[in-house]
Amino acid sequence: MAKHIVIVEDDPDQRANYADAITNKGYQVSAYGNRDEALAAFEDELPDLAILDIILGDEVDAGFQLCRELLARSPSMPVIFLTERINEIDKISGLRLGAWDYLPKPISLDYLAERISSLLRINEARTSNLRNENASEKHIGDLALDQEALLVSWRGERIDLSGTEFRMLAKLVRAPGHAVSYETLMNATMQSLVTNNTINTHMRNIRKKFEAVDGEFSCIKSEYGFGYRWTKQ
Amino acid sequence: MRLKLNFRGPRLGTKLALMGLALLVVPWFSYLQLVEMERLLIQGQSQAQLLTAEGISTLFNGREDLFNDLPVTLEDFEALYAEPLENTIRLDGDAEDWGKASAQEYLAFGSGDWQDSDFRLLLGERSDYLYVHMHIKDEQLVYRDPDFLRLDNADHIRLNYIGAGGEDGRMSLVFGATNVLTGFAMDEQWRYAATGDADNRVQGVLRPLTVAGVGAADGGPSQEVALEFRIPLSLLGSRQYFGLTFVDVDDPLQRQVVRSTQTLPKEANQNFNLVVLRTPEVRNIVQGLGYSGAKILVIDSLQRVRAEVGATRKPTSEDESGLQFGMVTRQLTVAGDFIGSLSQQLLNTDPDPDNGQTEASVNQRERAVEVSLAGDPIALRNPVSTNEELILAAHPIVSADQVIGTVVVEQNIDDILRFQRTALEQVLLLTLLSLLAIFLALIAFAGRLAWRIRNLRQEASSAIDARGRLRRGGLLNEMNAGDEIGDLARSVSNMLEKLKQHNGFLENMPRTLRHEINNPLNTLSTSLQNLAEEHPGIDSSKYLESAKRGVHRIGSIVQNLADAANLEEALEAEELEEIDLNELLASYVANCGASHNKVSFEYSGSNNPAIVLVSDFRIEQMLDKLVDNAVDFHRSDTPIRVHLECFGDIVQIAVANRGPALPEAKLLSIFDSMVSHRGPDNRLHFGLGLHVVRIIAEHHGGTAMAVNLEDRSGVALLIRLPLVNPILGGSPIRAESRGNAG
Repeated sequence: MAKHIVIVEDDPDQRANYADAITNKGYQVSAYGNRDEALAAFEDELPDLAILDIILGDEVDAGFQLCRELLARSPSMPVIFLTERINEIDKISGLRLGAWDYLPKPISLDYLAERISSLLRINEARTSNLRNENASEKHIGDLALDQEALLVSWRGERIDLSGTEFRMLAKLVRAPGHAVSYETLMNATMQSLVTNNTINTHMRNIRKKFEAVDGEFSCIKSEYGFGYRWTKQ
Repeated sequence: MRLKLNFRGPRLGTKLALMGLALLVVPWFSYLQLVEMERLLIQGQSQAQLLTAEGISTLFNGREDLFNDLPVTLEDFEALYAEPLENTIRLDGDAEDWGKASAQEYLAFGSGDWQDSDFRLLLGERSDYLYVHMHIKDEQLVYRDPDFLRLDNADHIRLNYIGAGGEDGRMSLVFGATNVLTGFAMDEQWRYAATGDADNRVQGVLRPLTVAGVGAADGGPSQEVALEFRIPLSLLGSRQYFGLTFVDVDDPLQRQVVRSTQTLPKEANQNFNLVVLRTPEVRNIVQGLGYSGAKILVIDSLQRVRAEVGATRKPTSEDESGLQFGMVTRQLTVAGDFIGSLSQQLLNTDPDPDNGQTEASVNQRERAVEVSLAGDPIALRNPVSTNEELILAAHPIVSADQVIGTVVVEQNIDDILRFQRTALEQVLLLTLLSLLAIFLALIAFAGRLAWRIRNLRQEASSAIDARGRLRRGGLLNEMNAGDEIGDLARSVSNMLEKLKQHNGFLENMPRTLRHEINNPLNTLSTSLQNLAEEHPGIDSSKYLESAKRGVHRIGSIVQNLADAANLEEALEAEELEEIDLNELLASYVANCGASHNKVSFEYSGSNNPAIVLVSDFRIEQMLDKLVDNAVDFHRSDTPIRVHLECFGDIVQIAVANRGPALPEAKLLSIFDSMVSHRGPDNRLHFGLGLHVVRIIAEHHGGTAMAVNLEDRSGVALLIRLPLVNPILGGSPIRAESRGNAG
């Protein structure tokens, strides 16, 4: 049975484009133009994944409210924010709400499709993980990476990374000790418009998340003018 | 040169002070007003005097009898004029106290060439007395010998007159040894005294005069004698005829009358001379009319003074008038006099004060008398001296259509003049004081105004920083002032507020723009992707490709703009850490080779770590921009040099490239927003790169500047950042040479 995906986007053109693209990938898609319509639909049935715009019509944070609503009903539901609001503060509040990813416009529909399938797979993996013991886990020193479930732990402690951050970290640790260029890292974000600053911001966030668990953490090194490097502790 | 160029006109204070000078016309106008007022007062006074003269003259109208007691003509008589005397006469033989009368010619009698027993005579009249001053030439003065009863055996004066009762009067004035004159009524032969007693109504003295040389040489009695004596007018009766004879006795032993000189008329048809005096009746009438400060003269048609009453007041002394105004005024008097004389010269109101004044005054009176005797009343101003001026008013006395005389009223207008002077002084004083006060007030006002405007200017100019950014959206000073400066402040403040709003709008513009563009861009982008999906055949179409490139480019432009606009805000959120800049640069430059494979980089750092408190990837971002800039402008096959050096408490990063030098103005503005020196064909650059460099450098407490290499073979961009651990002993070296080294 096809996965049910909900798209909430106030711009009809974009909504149609998303819906067409995702339908073409073989998903069942419901698209809504505002918060009330979406909420009414959620009353009947919860989707498997939700793609939300933050600004809906005149409501500047309708997306956040919807996210909260959805996660209250189904805490494990993958939510992707897809928005032109790419300020740091919006990104942080979105992710804090429990959204799985935060994609700035303009987006690549291929990336979006890939993202959807990956998130659905991860969600499945997570739920099945409870029975299936760490099949896809990879260990690099103290770091443990579960590629399937996008789960990261450092010295046994679980670290919550967003999808983008996970992907970047995965690229970084593929060849420990080698510098990874900005360009490579940009590809890993699966976003269309990425600058060095975006990479730097993501890397700093990743570093902070590790440091929160381990104050001594210093494995991610800047390779100024080139990119980043994962070194052994 | 510079000063000259900077001078745009006088400052506010100077302007006000210059305009204040216009106040100087105030004393000038006051002066003119005073002159006019004086003129009016004098005119009024003249009118009043003329009325007085008229009033008095009406008393005499038709009273020809009063004037007819004198012969109408003087043919039969030798008139002896008795001048009115102004001063009290001291009988001392000296004519000094006779005043103006003494200056007049003595009447000479005798041989005419000043021989023995000739004499000269001067008559004067004052308060009912006839005063006589005689100057006698006498080779041998013989005093009366009291042993002789006869009185004609010594030098003496014989006086013939017609007494009050109409009887003939004879009197001898004999010279006593004590130089006293004694009068005796005489018998008809002039030998013996008619009565035994001296007539004490006549008093007088004689004074032998020592004539240089002669008298002193032989030690004898002097050759000249001055006599001074007075006779009561009552003695002469109403007709006032008298004759005077000097009887000369030269030999003190024989005591024979040698010679006698008399004043009798030559024709000898009369025994007497005529003493022309004021007519007592007329004077009696006028007497009661005299008033203070005025002199009344009654003059007959032959211009003889028939009565004189009162005296023009003496000018009050300066001290009295000065006292009431105190010290300041007295000192100002000098200035007042100066201004007075100056303005008098300017206005030409006064004739030259020193030249022929008495003459003028006499002439004026004569003129007045002549005019009034011709039948016309007249009033004249008669300046007597610099401080004294008289008003003459003359009115004819008419009888049966004939002018029989005139009444002249003279009054001193010293009061008016003094009033003028005092008022002038007061005006001057007040003007000076008020000018001073106004000047002070003006200067204070100008100072305050200038101060307020300066404050306002400073505040207004500090509202915008050197980069043209608005620091605040309003002013604080002068906002509540009610005047024009307040208006100015409010309008400037209002302008700033609007500018700030506009600025805010502009600052938010890139974000709004990105927000607004991203949605349609996303539509475009997703549509293109769906299009490719739908028609797999056109995936390879070059139009689709170029459309995608266009979308990407718009996206990056908007992104860059938004990033630059958000930079300062984003920097605030950055956490700073201590980093060795030397190490960072070394690693960075090493990596540069990889990203720019056609360009060679050289790095020369310091041996010591350069620890700075920065956000590392912001420094990296800054270096990216610096290197991008250097790569864009470097001449191919020349290396880009990156140099790091510490001196004192700063570290300097220099990124230098060989290439075209920049003009001076560009060096200063190159770090400003939206300034690009790439030329019009480089559309992807907005001049944001170096702007970002400056913002980052300044955020870290540093500076950014651009210099040309010393030989103008290229450009170096210099970033200076503060060191955490200052190196002691270092000294800043000129940027130019550093640039050259890099």
